[in-house]
Amino acid sequence: MAQVIQYLLNGIMNGALYALIAVGIVSIFKSTKVVSFAHGHVIMFGAYFYFTFAVILPGAEFMPDWVAKWEPEWLLAYKEGAAMFSPKAAIAAWVSNLPRIVLGLVGSIVCNALLAVFIERAFMRPLLGQSSLSMILCTVGLIWVLEGSASLIWSADIDQVPPLGPNFPIRFTVFDSQVFLFSSSVVNFVIALILFIGLMLVLRYTRSGVAVRATAEDQSTAYAMGINVPAVFTTAWVVAATTGAIAGAILASRNGLSPTLGLFGLSVLAVVLMGGLDSFAGVFIASMIIGIFEAFTQWQFGGEYAEIVPYVLVLLVILWRPNGLMGQAEIERI
Amino acid sequence: MSMKRRTFIKAGAALTAASVAPAIVRAEEKVWRVGGSLPMTGPFATAGQLVAPALTDFTMMVNDAGGIGGKPMKIEVEDSGYIPKNALANFERALAGGPLHGYFGDSTGFMELVGPSLTGDKAVMMMSTSFASSLADPAKRPYQFMAGPSYQDQVEILLRDIADKGGETVALIYSDSEFGRDPIPHARKICEALGLRIVLEEVTKTAGADIESHVTKLAQANPEYAILQGYVTGVWPQLIGAARAFGLPTQFMGTFWGMEKVVADRVTDQAGPFLDGYQGVMPYRYFYDMEDAPYYQEVNAWKKNQNPDFPGYIVTWALEAYINLLIWKKSMEMTIEADKPITADNLMASMRAINDWDTRGFFGKPVSLAEHKIGQGRVYRYSAESKLFTPVSDWIET
Amino acid sequence: MITGNFKTSYAADESLWNNWAKRYGFVLAVVFLLVLPLFADNYVLLLAGQIAIYVIAVTGVNVLVGYTGLMSLGHGAFFAVGAYTTVILHQYVEHLFPLITLLVSIVVAAGFGFLFGLPSLRVKGLYLAVATLSANFIILFFIRQDWAAPWTGGRQGIETPNAMFFGQEMLSNTQKYYFIIPICLAMVLFAQNLFRTRFGRALIGIRDNDHSAEILGISLYAYKLKSFAISAAYCGAAGSLWAYFFPAILPEDFSLNLSITLVVCLIAGGMGRTLGPVFGTLLILLIPEMLKIVSGWATGGDGRALIHFSSIRDIVFGLIIILFLIFEPMGLVSIWDRFWRVVARWPFSK
Repeated sequence: MAQVIQYLLNGIMNGALYALIAVGIVSIFKSTKVVSFAHGHVIMFGAYFYFTFAVILPGAEFMPDWVAKWEPEWLLAYKEGAAMFSPKAAIAAWVSNLPRIVLGLVGSIVCNALLAVFIERAFMRPLLGQSSLSMILCTVGLIWVLEGSASLIWSADIDQVPPLGPNFPIRFTVFDSQVFLFSSSVVNFVIALILFIGLMLVLRYTRSGVAVRATAEDQSTAYAMGINVPAVFTTAWVVAATTGAIAGAILASRNGLSPTLGLFGLSVLAVVLMGGLDSFAGVFIASMIIGIFEAFTQWQFGGEYAEIVPYVLVLLVILWRPNGLMGQAEIERI
Repeated sequence: MSMKRRTFIKAGAALTAASVAPAIVRAEEKVWRVGGSLPMTGPFATAGQLVAPALTDFTMMVNDAGGIGGKPMKIEVEDSGYIPKNALANFERALAGGPLHGYFGDSTGFMELVGPSLTGDKAVMMMSTSFASSLADPAKRPYQFMAGPSYQDQVEILLRDIADKGGETVALIYSDSEFGRDPIPHARKICEALGLRIVLEEVTKTAGADIESHVTKLAQANPEYAILQGYVTGVWPQLIGAARAFGLPTQFMGTFWGMEKVVADRVTDQAGPFLDGYQGVMPYRYFYDMEDAPYYQEVNAWKKNQNPDFPGYIVTWALEAYINLLIWKKSMEMTIEADKPITADNLMASMRAINDWDTRGFFGKPVSLAEHKIGQGRVYRYSAESKLFTPVSDWIET
Repeated sequence: MITGNFKTSYAADESLWNNWAKRYGFVLAVVFLLVLPLFADNYVLLLAGQIAIYVIAVTGVNVLVGYTGLMSLGHGAFFAVGAYTTVILHQYVEHLFPLITLLVSIVVAAGFGFLFGLPSLRVKGLYLAVATLSANFIILFFIRQDWAAPWTGGRQGIETPNAMFFGQEMLSNTQKYYFIIPICLAMVLFAQNLFRTRFGRALIGIRDNDHSAEILGISLYAYKLKSFAISAAYCGAAGSLWAYFFPAILPEDFSLNLSITLVVCLIAGGMGRTLGPVFGTLLILLIPEMLKIVSGWATGGDGRALIHFSSIRDIVFGLIIILFLIFEPMGLVSIWDRFWRVVARWPFSK
């Protein structure tokens, strides 16, 4: 039983990360009907911006010392005598990293938003009015452009970035059995959850959210109703890129940072399709299911099987529900 | 009119001949040509970008010292993106570009792909970045060799070291790739022979592995030692970091591609000192340990001369390229000395004849290449404080 | 999107080539292909062979994506099926006649195509693309397994047999080239011919509007399945030739990367046109090589300069794809058409 709970928790933590990545793909699709194959690479750029602002910039000459390592009196007092890998030491390390983590997040969100605006304006807008297939293909072309640019700007070296939360194991008992979680995963989970719920609320209750939904429903009618559709497109890309920046920071802190980070985005495509391209809720459920199944497969059968879990699941779900778990069936006219 | 035309044609022919002539002369082996494919893009770009300059440096050093047999050498590197098919195209193009005296392959996949076609006038002496066990096979792969122990040998060295130190339980953690799986069946055999118990065999994804689940399984199995195989830059630092944060006492051990100081240093600088105590097998002496390594001193002096800011460290992945090329150069020299034509067969015969050769630094003991590999290596231990890998075993031969 | 071709007589509709330029152009192309090995080196022949194999596969993708309007990102799997079928057949019968293995590979791949096509009635558009993509991953997964290794070589890949024609082994690139090119030509012509038949027109009808097609009496299920099978058969043939052409095959040769490349080739060339796959493949396969030659020429093989050059090469390659989509959305074929239009109407057009 303890085992089941343990792997269930692991799966949920991973699922949250899938959801955070998937949310960008869904938000782009909802308003523009384009599935971005390059989303993983946009995330990679977010991760590299985070690296630039959280690692390179604080180390620069002109930055005050406290940005790189913030050590107020009380922190030193708190840290006093903490063993190397104890929770106390982990929290202290995190607090002293806090300024650069914040700087990194802000920087990466801003830069990634700019990148998204650029991509939308330069590459996607000229394709407006063409079949969505060519727009999708355009995002495929973007993969090479982004990967090449990243390795040109930051070189292909592997880098490490500070985690968003302190990293220590949390042990607790459920049903008389010992399970554990990494605190940084919990932080990641909470961030993903907040972003996800926030985005859903924005879509449901704000004016721009209604505009996005209207555009998703019918572009020309939305135009006729006075909605600035191109602005909606830009917004969608910016939303995707900013959530992607955070996802990138999390991914890089978990897996290390290199231009290949972008490949992760491709397996998330399966998650998105399983949930239904235009349903945030469906995608969230799909992320959790795939995360949990992966963890259980890893436990019972090992990594080689875990790798194809998303694909097997998506295939089964699509055969059963051709538009994903909660996706809307497209209405076709003859 | 006809006269004029004839003269015109003559002049044209003469011109053509003049322009072609240098090409023919060039084909007369003015330089020793070595081709190479490296992953400058793609998943292993980190490695490729660090190795590529080393090839150029080696060439310049050799040419500064007068070349090989009086002729300079030349290396032409291409990007493969770590796709074997691309590397094969690079190889064919290098072959089409004139006589080719050596080739530096970029992956096990490429070596497997090109292996069967190395016959007749397509045969070229071929070194690579790979230590895959199947490549050290003089009968089946007569033109390919490796400048070090195969992955099987490396894992065997680790297991012998563990057994020597009284270890009892081992976990094998490897990536789901050919690279990761290569030594595993051999490791099982050796464990049985040495009386080591394998308490966990864990397959991970090659990138973006589910660290939490791996640590969970590792904690349950609680092995004394865990051997990591099949990783270059990713997964292993994260896995060790998580295991340390969790408080696992397991001793982690790696093989050649997971033993690079640059990667370990970066992890230490940017994430924390959790790689402290990490061990692994390295076939070569690290570059900073140049006291007993005259060749390293020469390279160091040359690099310092080129660039006064040279920090005095060359990555182990580049050292692999150096020793590969040194073996090639040695084979060339032996063949030239024996006054035989430079063909792949003669080169390989010379190489197989290399016996008790002092590598002047790379290896602790003299080496021989009769088996197309060098079964030697040492176990090193990383210290996060000094940021050095220091040897904790003698040179172990397999 | 292409909506149809304007024709004024049945004869025009049934003709294989609709003008003299195309007919003689074809003859010229055949002559060029025949004499190419006389003055090409091994490298050029390697590329030529590879391109010919890709052309076959992309033509297959064209049948499904370009003519039937079904999206697939899983054609790498059929490629793999063809290649491994060929290798496995040779394990049981050593010197099998290559055309027989080719046929068997085609049939087996078509069978897999049937299987892949089963969901195509319910599942559409991107969902179908991802369903096929998933199937691609799953098939490769089985090929990689250790228990399959005796037949497929597992992760390590497997050495492939050489084609034997009447005791003559095809070893050199030239021989392999002459083996592949006729098959490639035949299969491209077959595709061209296919769309002059009722069957082909039915597929186009499905592409343009599947519900209307059904009302016109076209059985959607039967035709979609057949389209999948034909398309898979082409890729199976390509896979089989691939196995003969390269000295070894590895599972990762047939990964998502290949599937995407096939579709990119098709889009770049022009969907729903016979010459589309040819032009697209030429462009997509030759650009990286050209860029490599340029970078090799600019850096002189110097490893230090190559670090930046390979990244730039990636960027340029991506940009070319994007620029094509923006400025030439109907593919290279539309440039070709414009050219011939200008020639035909000269001097009344520019």
